[in-house]
Amino acid sequence: MSGPERVREWVGHPFWATALVLVLAYAAIRFGIPHVPPLFGVASAPVPSSVVLQYMLSVFLALMLYVSANEERWERFREPIRVLLVEPDLGWLRVAVLVAAMAITGWLTYTNVRPSYGAPAALRSIHPAPPDQIQFEGETLRLSRLQNPLREEGDLQEHYERGAEIYAENCVPCHGDRLDGQGHFANAFNPAPLDLTSGGNLPQLSESFVFWRIAKGGPGLPPEGTPWNSAMPAWEGVLSQREIWSVIVYLYEQTGFTPRSTEGHGGGEAGSSGSAAEGTS
Amino acid sequence: MRGTRRVARHRGAGRWNAGAHGNGPGWTSFLSLMPLLLIAGLALPSAADAQDVENGQRLYERWCAECHGAEGEGDGPAASRMLPRPRDFTEARYQIRTTASGNLPTTGDIMRAIEHGLPGTTMPGWPNLNRSQQRDLTAYLKSLSPFFERLGPPDSLSFESPPGGGEEALESGRQVYTKLECDRCHGSAGRGDGPSAPTLTDWRDQPVRAADLTQPWLFNGGSSVEEIHRRFLTGLDGTPMPTQADALNAGVVDSAQLWDLAYYVRSLAPERVPPPGRNVVRVERIADDEELPAGPGADAWDDVDRYWFPMAGQVLERPRQFEPMVDGVWVEGVHDGSEIALRVSWNDPSQSPDSAWMQWQRRVAGALYADGTPWPTDSLPDRLAVQFPTEIPEGRERPYFLMGSAQKPVYLWRWNSRDGIRESTATGLGTAGPLPESRLQGQATWSAGQWSVVFRRSLEGEGQRISLESGVAVPVAFYAWDGNNAETGKRAAVSSWYFVVLEVPTGNEVYVAPAAVVLLVAGFGVFMVRSARQGETGGGAGDDGSGA
Repeated sequence: MSGPERVREWVGHPFWATALVLVLAYAAIRFGIPHVPPLFGVASAPVPSSVVLQYMLSVFLALMLYVSANEERWERFREPIRVLLVEPDLGWLRVAVLVAAMAITGWLTYTNVRPSYGAPAALRSIHPAPPDQIQFEGETLRLSRLQNPLREEGDLQEHYERGAEIYAENCVPCHGDRLDGQGHFANAFNPAPLDLTSGGNLPQLSESFVFWRIAKGGPGLPPEGTPWNSAMPAWEGVLSQREIWSVIVYLYEQTGFTPRSTEGHGGGEAGSSGSAAEGTS
Repeated sequence: MRGTRRVARHRGAGRWNAGAHGNGPGWTSFLSLMPLLLIAGLALPSAADAQDVENGQRLYERWCAECHGAEGEGDGPAASRMLPRPRDFTEARYQIRTTASGNLPTTGDIMRAIEHGLPGTTMPGWPNLNRSQQRDLTAYLKSLSPFFERLGPPDSLSFESPPGGGEEALESGRQVYTKLECDRCHGSAGRGDGPSAPTLTDWRDQPVRAADLTQPWLFNGGSSVEEIHRRFLTGLDGTPMPTQADALNAGVVDSAQLWDLAYYVRSLAPERVPPPGRNVVRVERIADDEELPAGPGADAWDDVDRYWFPMAGQVLERPRQFEPMVDGVWVEGVHDGSEIALRVSWNDPSQSPDSAWMQWQRRVAGALYADGTPWPTDSLPDRLAVQFPTEIPEGRERPYFLMGSAQKPVYLWRWNSRDGIRESTATGLGTAGPLPESRLQGQATWSAGQWSVVFRRSLEGEGQRISLESGVAVPVAFYAWDGNNAETGKRAAVSSWYFVVLEVPTGNEVYVAPAAVVLLVAGFGVFMVRSARQGETGGGAGDDGSGA
């Protein structure tokens, strides 16, 4: 029997085909999925192990259903298992498989029961849903109706220049000259300063959302945004409304993004709601 | 993690202001030629490729002008909060070059600075600009000064490849370090704490730090042995760090010794930036017959795992601190089941309040607080605070990382170089007040530019004094103030929340469950084989041991 034929026979065998599909599914879930978001310009993250387990269980159940649906296929599927258990010549393999199974389960149990010293897991919503309205220096602002007044007024270039100045004076240490969240203070803060150049942030947010985040900063986040950790200052009281709007003009102009439309409910909704494992980036 | 760009400071330093050696000849002649060159330069309009320059100007206005200024004079709106100040391109004085001291940089030198930035300053790298954009930008930067046109392209020095180092080189390098008086500015252990360090100023009369040689990730021109060696040959123009070419020419040192010095300087620090991602201090459980280390200098600390936590200026609340002296702390901990000892170490070139550093304090305050915010003129102590919540949080919520709030206060272990150690609570930045009857003990030492403070307390707490339970992650954060860097109150270096966890004594019970599982698996395997043999038609009931 030639090589290719042998391979074809193996792959055609229900048992080995099942094993192969499981391996391929694992590779696709574990290593393939993280490559998908970047295709759409969104930041990627590893697939959590609980999700991997869930997907693998689904794949396994589906395979079992398929294999056992046909009597002959089921018999063929069981054949290699039977051979391993009873074949007199394969005693060494039986022992090897048993010892390996003992070692693996023993180790897994040990890693579960031994004391661990990790940080408690904490998920955090990067862009939590904003409140319906905020108070800015005594003035009530309804976020769902809030528009950037500078878009309709005066010279946009002037607003951009003023925004650039304010950004340079106040935002650069953390968000950086490149606006990528890599300022010279960035590595001291956890969560890390937002990367304003990422396609998952500014373009997904309305200008009123960005206004809320700048005005109220970390302390103004709802609990799912972990306000106690955020190093984003609240700029209310330091910058005027106009100044905040001009920074927003600068952010969108400088990154080349357009803000998410505020028509309909858009302005009041969370832009994109993502979560990220807490940990140093 | 991109941990190489940190707080702007750490210019190299030397004896420019110390008077002992004066300026190198190359530097002096350049200075004396300047007025002449300036006149000549103005008389002839630039003939550089106008299109490149124009493209470069657009990029410059978009990305560079906020720091380097609309006219390239280093006076953009952000400049006054940076030390060292952004470069003034009209002066054509470039710090990192491959050319001799006093000479212009090559086009490649400028492009390298754009690509990689200047680590240890606020200048980031711009790898997001492509080569042709970087080239255009370089053309524009050169057009800002008449010198490039007048003097023509400069020659790079020729550099040898590194000879290899080794134990002997390090020993020889150590001697050269003293011989060339590097320690006058950089200090005996290289932490930038030499006697001349507080006097150093740069070309704009702004205070400039002698580089902390134990933190090479902050070296402006890169931290490889080759790069360090290049800085010896080129000097860091505009800073007090002189070229060693004169010492070489005068036969004070030979070329091999200069390489030894480069290896020695590199050896003063760990090979890599402290690893990121280690955000939990594991407080080791010492054996029952051992004692907790008595002070910061105890030998027992040598075997304890160290954790590095980066710090940044407190820029959330006013008055803000844009250029803190301390950029991180090393933390180690041990406990014996009833008491914890935590050692916090950090580099600080001054043992504040130090009268020798008062001139530095005045200069820094003048440079950074020129916006009218009040700044301290009296002598200030160095301070440190270790912050915990007042109780172990239920769920994930913690007090606000900046000293908590009225609803969620924080509990602090504070130390200052004047009054020693005390326990406090706070409900926000600047509100810390001492707790009565401190149960906290400790000791501090300062040696060769480094503070080391050991805190000791019983694990059991009381009231707002948090109890530390083994195996439970307790949030922790750090603050540091360098008094002689005009830091007090809200002007501090701060960190995020991290965790400390006390090791649980591991008994034999952790092996019980794995052993039971192993036995179960063995029994199940034997049973499967038996039943398969007996029934021949029975087959395997599961896929355990199937070899898939």
